[in-house]
Amino acid sequence: MKEGDMVGITAKVSRFNPETDKEPHFETYTVSVHDGARVLHVLHAIHDRLDPTLAYRFCCEAGQCGSCAMRVNGEPVLACMEEATDGMTVEPLRLPVIRDLLVEVEGVLARLAPFEAGEEPEIPSKEEIEAIKPLRDCIECLSCVSECPAVDVASFLGPTGMRQEMRIALDPRAKHDRIKKAIDEGLFTCTTCQRCRDVCPKKIAIPGRAIEKLREIANREGLTLPRHQAVARLIEETGRSVDRTKATFLEQVPEVVEPDGPVRGEVGFFVGCMYNGRVPETALDMIEVMKRNGIRLIIPHDQVCCGSPLIRTGQTAILPELKKRNIEAFARKGVTTVMTMCAGCGSTLKNDYDTPFTVKDITEVLTEYGIEPPARLDVRATYHDPCHLLRGQGISGQPRELLKTAVREFVEMPSRCCGAGGGVRSGLPDEAAALGKQRDDEIKKTGADIVVTACPFCEFHIRENTDRPVKHICTLLLEGYREKDRKRNRPAKG
Amino acid sequence: MYLYNARYIKMHADVEVDCHVLVIGSGGAGARAALEASQYGKTVLVSRTLTGKGGCTPMAEGGYNAVLRNADSCPMHVADTLRGGAYLNDPALVDILVRESPERMADLIRWGAVFDVTDSREIAQRPFGGQQFPRTCYAGDRTGHEIMATLVEQLRSRDIEQLQETTVIELLLDGGRVCGAAMLDRNGGLLLCRADATVLATGGGTRVYDISTNCAAGTGDGFALGYRAGAELIDMEMVQFHPTGAVYPYNARGRLITEAVRGEGGLLLNAEGERFMHRYDPERMELSTRDVVARAIATEILEGRGTPHNGVYLDVSHLPAPTIEERLPIMLEQFLAFGVDIRKEPMEVAPTAHHIMGGLRITPSGQTTVPGLFACGEVAGGVHGANRLGGNALADTQVFGKRAGESAGRAAKQSGAIPISAIGAIGARLERFRAGSVPPIAIIETLRRAMWDGAGIFRTEASLTTAGETVASLKTRTPQARTDRNLAECCTVENMLEVAGLIVRGALLRRESRGAHVRKDVRTAWEPAQSPYGHTFQSRSGEGIEQREVAA
Ligand SMILES: Cc1cc2nc3c(=O)[nH]c(=O)nc-3n(C[C@H](O)[C@H](O)[C@H](O)COP(=O)(O)OP(=O)(O)OC[C@H]3O[C@@H](n4cnc5c(N)ncnc54)[C@H](O)[C@@H]3O)c2cc1C
Ligand code: SF4
Ligand code: SF4
Ligand code: FES
Repeated sequence: MKEGDMVGITAKVSRFNPETDKEPHFETYTVSVHDGARVLHVLHAIHDRLDPTLAYRFCCEAGQCGSCAMRVNGEPVLACMEEATDGMTVEPLRLPVIRDLLVEVEGVLARLAPFEAGEEPEIPSKEEIEAIKPLRDCIECLSCVSECPAVDVASFLGPTGMRQEMRIALDPRAKHDRIKKAIDEGLFTCTTCQRCRDVCPKKIAIPGRAIEKLREIANREGLTLPRHQAVARLIEETGRSVDRTKATFLEQVPEVVEPDGPVRGEVGFFVGCMYNGRVPETALDMIEVMKRNGIRLIIPHDQVCCGSPLIRTGQTAILPELKKRNIEAFARKGVTTVMTMCAGCGSTLKNDYDTPFTVKDITEVLTEYGIEPPARLDVRATYHDPCHLLRGQGISGQPRELLKTAVREFVEMPSRCCGAGGGVRSGLPDEAAALGKQRDDEIKKTGADIVVTACPFCEFHIRENTDRPVKHICTLLLEGYREKDRKRNRPAKG
Repeated sequence: MYLYNARYIKMHADVEVDCHVLVIGSGGAGARAALEASQYGKTVLVSRTLTGKGGCTPMAEGGYNAVLRNADSCPMHVADTLRGGAYLNDPALVDILVRESPERMADLIRWGAVFDVTDSREIAQRPFGGQQFPRTCYAGDRTGHEIMATLVEQLRSRDIEQLQETTVIELLLDGGRVCGAAMLDRNGGLLLCRADATVLATGGGTRVYDISTNCAAGTGDGFALGYRAGAELIDMEMVQFHPTGAVYPYNARGRLITEAVRGEGGLLLNAEGERFMHRYDPERMELSTRDVVARAIATEILEGRGTPHNGVYLDVSHLPAPTIEERLPIMLEQFLAFGVDIRKEPMEVAPTAHHIMGGLRITPSGQTTVPGLFACGEVAGGVHGANRLGGNALADTQVFGKRAGESAGRAAKQSGAIPISAIGAIGARLERFRAGSVPPIAIIETLRRAMWDGAGIFRTEASLTTAGETVASLKTRTPQARTDRNLAECCTVENMLEVAGLIVRGALLRRESRGAHVRKDVRTAWEPAQSPYGHTFQSRSGEGIEQREVAA
């Protein structure tokens, strides 16, 4: 990198003057900055040379004070750390805007839990300190709060509020148990969508490190929501989080499903409670797709709930038992890869289990093996990213790749939690519905005829909140195959 | 003087706030002072940033010095501090710093601070430059952030009114006594606050230099506010250049590379791969005091042994990667963001303006030379002498923050009025900016370069005079405020010029090399301890350098 080399940067910057404007608008500026300049330096150049009225917050210019969080190309970043790029758009965080890029933060910051020390507190042990430290990296930039779907529709102090509560809960010097306060602040409103973790400049894993842990504490104190307790009881009694109301998937299929043609591969299939008990039709569609593409399925009938509903709601007492049963069920069959098609189960097996086999989502399996192209259905489709697939497993390309082969037209919509996760659908149905409604608004904006997704919770929940058909990617593929067969004048099987 | 009552003033200024103690600045010193003062009466904490987010405290990485072990001792810490400070420190202030630093650390721990601890539940300590004992307590390399977070958690549970994103532009005087301050809110609205006692805790000001470690608030406002209110400032020429600042990319130059890097075993190498410190301080090598290391690096670069980016190498790649990840996470993260993996390759570093050791003269209780005005933290002078030891500034903020807050809290109640004359002058000043013609940045950029060139690491009478002339000519130009919201920037520009002028005049007054102050044009025939000079002092009523008796 040569010093002092200047480069031209054009930036679209959101401007809002509360005295004259009804709503924000973009202004475009072109400035000359030093090579390697950060977004903040572009704003400085605009402020210093073009328009001194531009309002934005900053102080340390070194990623340490959290003043300068804003959205660059739609994503929250620290302006002082993010390298500026030509053509970028710069917007305030999604919080009430005071002016230009300045947002209101004092209110939330003032409500973060204070630390009240007990009498004569001792120095904590090294282990205690190490446990608190990761929660202490927070620079209170509020990026997480600004993107949290629960904050948007429920009464919730926000992810960093829970981080602060957990920090206190872990500290032996704190005077009070604040778990009731944490519940009042909205502990149970979090859908565990992981958006906060992804946008945090300090990469603090708030859902796993704070929210689920606080829910465990609440559980120990008997404060778990009654609906969540009922789910835990059901799992304990039946091994399943869903009531048996009809023939389950596992009751309908053999333990080994051979493909139609030559065997190209073999995977174990972890069905999960939703596809087993509530929407077995979708899982049966999946079987057809696998058969057609030469993949043998091994489906142990003694598999049980993965435990995700327990982890997300902090009821982890019987978790070790579930893990053991599941791992043994597949290990006994000698499979090396276990496939999930429920994003929640997949994320749990990948992140909360220590498995002797590889876990892959169905969209990974299908794109890795490559599939027979289906006929294109004459529809415009959009895709909803399941939180536990996008952020829980880092999967976004594969489902789109598959989807694009099966429809006339694909349109994106912004990815956001639909409200089905984290026990919110069962525990706080109003909140879940409000988020579902927001999804519907986005779906309408795309003008899509159908919505495709890859998670039974999302599938089920969005279906309740929109009038457009919602389909799992496998169902879509199968429809494509049937269409193909119909065109060839050959009836499809299944 | 004719006084108007508070209600009348409301008609002139937009809002009026009345309190017992007004604390200006919410860094480590100001927050600590406010916590203390609030025990005595209504306390208002004003800062031009969000509370706790401004200032240099949250940026401090390396640590906090405190005598905590039997093998260490207060006299040792005092000796280190005086030696590092080239015996210009005020010994009474040093005694207090050293004695009370452990108590203030205990406060922080009691309030929940998450410092690193040893296996045996003691606060962990690491070695820092110029100290005989590893007495620097730390929280990874985000020590200042940890202290600030702890203080903010406390502020949230106390009854302290916070005026955030509000810039103090002038201290208000009633007769010879400070009776509050005038400030501008986020929209440029004028706000007056009357107080029985006022604590200045505005931090440092090395942003008057082209290359600086300081945050954007490090413009030295408090030095200028205090000076204009009649306070005496001492040793303003004592500017610490931290030896290790980043050199590229351009916009990150000056950014601090914490001394902990050397504390953990980092090596300084010139372009020829030579560990050059053996030629400057063979005993302490990389862990010598900052002034020595900064000059060594500057000399290597000046003499042509610098790297392509005009720095020297600072290398930790010989340390195990997990050590780097655990002990220096912020360094690792920041360099990775700029494409350098310090686990594998060396950093490039050069000196950067870091800390102002001088400042308002204070008594051990934090009282300045003006009644009603207290000062603590980096804006106060005398604690660190001619050169500050790494880790002593954070201790300073806590020790003297508490003392200033307590003294202000104990101050007597005053009449509830602000003299109208002061307000007239403020109005006239703001009018001048509205009619100004020079973009603030034009003044600031010229100033910063002039200070770096003329009043930097190496100084001569000629270079200082040139810098002084530039400052004087810049003072004749009026910065322009396009809207009311730009008024505060204009005030800050004028403050920066004031501070630069104080540094240059102090540097001219001190005809010796001592600590961080190096006069290449005068031969210093004495060891620092034997120097015939004491503090330089400057106030509106005079300036000079103290002579002192030294035992032969
Ligand atoms: C990068 C860096 C690293 C450092 N590392 C260490 C270290 O490891 N150990 C150590 O001991 N020291 C370290 N220091 C030094 C130490 O951090 C500072 O000296 C100390 O934190 C200063 O604290 P303070 O409270 O006096 O001021 P600051 O923390 O700077 O706070 C100043 C406050 O004043 C406010 N303010 C300023 N002007 C105005 C105005 N006009 N109106 C209203 N408010 C105003 C600001 O908003 C801010 O709130 C470091 C310094 C820097 C820059
Ligand atoms: S996981 Fe999602 S819902 Fe929960 S706190 Fe984070 S952003 Fe909010
Ligand atoms: S948790 Fe992360 S995103 Fe949220 S306020 Fe803290 S630093 Fe910012
Ligand atoms: S300015 Fe402090 S984090 Fe960006």
